[in-house]
Amino acid sequence: MKILLAEDTKDMNRVITAALENMGYDVCSCFDGGEALEHALADSFDALVLDIMMPKKDGIEVLKEIRSRNIVTPVLLLTAKTEIEDRVIGLDAGADDYLSKPFAMKELLARVRAMTRRKQEYNTGIIDFGDLSLNGETFELKCENSIRLSVKEFELLQALILNSSRPLSARFILDNIWDNADDATESVVELYIQYLRDKLAAIASLVSIMEADDGYRLVKGNRS
Amino acid sequence: MGSIYGQKYTELEDTMRSIVDEIGSIREIALSRSGFDPIEHISYRIKTEESMLDKIKRKGLPLTTESALEAIHDAVGIRVVCAFINDIYAVRDHLLSLKNCEVIEEKDYIRHAKENGYRSYHMIVKVNGSIYVEIQLRTISQDTWAALEHHIHYKKDKTDMDKLISAELKRCADELASTDLSMQTIRDMIEKNRNEQEQAG
Repeated sequence: MKILLAEDTKDMNRVITAALENMGYDVCSCFDGGEALEHALADSFDALVLDIMMPKKDGIEVLKEIRSRNIVTPVLLLTAKTEIEDRVIGLDAGADDYLSKPFAMKELLARVRAMTRRKQEYNTGIIDFGDLSLNGETFELKCENSIRLSVKEFELLQALILNSSRPLSARFILDNIWDNADDATESVVELYIQYLRDKLAAIASLVSIMEADDGYRLVKGNRS
Repeated sequence: MGSIYGQKYTELEDTMRSIVDEIGSIREIALSRSGFDPIEHISYRIKTEESMLDKIKRKGLPLTTESALEAIHDAVGIRVVCAFINDIYAVRDHLLSLKNCEVIEEKDYIRHAKENGYRSYHMIVKVNGSIYVEIQLRTISQDTWAALEHHIHYKKDKTDMDKLISAELKRCADELASTDLSMQTIRDMIEKNRNEQEQAG
């Protein structure tokens, strides 16, 4: 994983870089906001750690500029200031988290881990369940035969696989997969469950979607 | 020089016509029963002399009428393009029920798509104990894919670029297959609703 660090205090920069590298990250260290912005636009990172007070461009300016270009990489702001107002401005400008100086290195590392975890879990590569293999990059669903799922079908099946130990209610599915959109109703969920059932059958999978009063649950089935 | 089909050409034509008519009657039965026409279109042909001769040579068989009609089973070919996936199996079931048709071989490339993504239901039947007929059943999407893939005619599989193209053609096939299934699900849902309303009313 690659981290961009922008911190103008040389000692501080060196210490943070060493700590991150020690945790196995590739670190691109910058000493001012201009340099940081250049790297953030030219390269891609898994997280950015930006000091607020820096020469050339401050951390907030860098943050605003990359967000205006729809770069959604997680950002952790470091600030010497403890005023609430600065934190609010930073978070509103698109930061995911902040840390006030002085801080414990242990905490900085934990926050970087927390920020990068979400993305890591989202791009889960290939998930297996029973006789199924679901590819998170291509949305290909494979058993005896293969098929491509639509985005919503993929998200629904992924949720069912990752939550196979408990039933998912239509409400939970609407809240989490349809982000509770106005036009999404329980009949949308029913239709998508039916899409998945027919597609599971088409690839000759034994996996099936059980429906009970408390929701939908994926079961593996047995080869008889 | 005489025809590779000898004196059998008329019999081939008559057999082809009888199966095509039979499929036509499936349409009428389905239409009157459910209001849905399961068949989009039918095409059929008797293999040309030229391509039959090519095929006999390719297979290293003697250049005889027997090779053309007994060893090779697609002198008569019929392709039935259906609207929905389930229609394919309905047409198949009807063909299986015919007394003068003996099923010699069935290959379900819908349930088990070929490596390249090709999907179709193939069957070879022997009609009246004498003439072999190859019948291919597929949906509009499967027919579209096969037609377009034929145009591209991509067979190489050596460089990384070839692999990418093959993988992309397969992806298109899998996406079309997904759409076919979604359309089937939608039709089933409409039918279920209609039946429930009829029962309620």
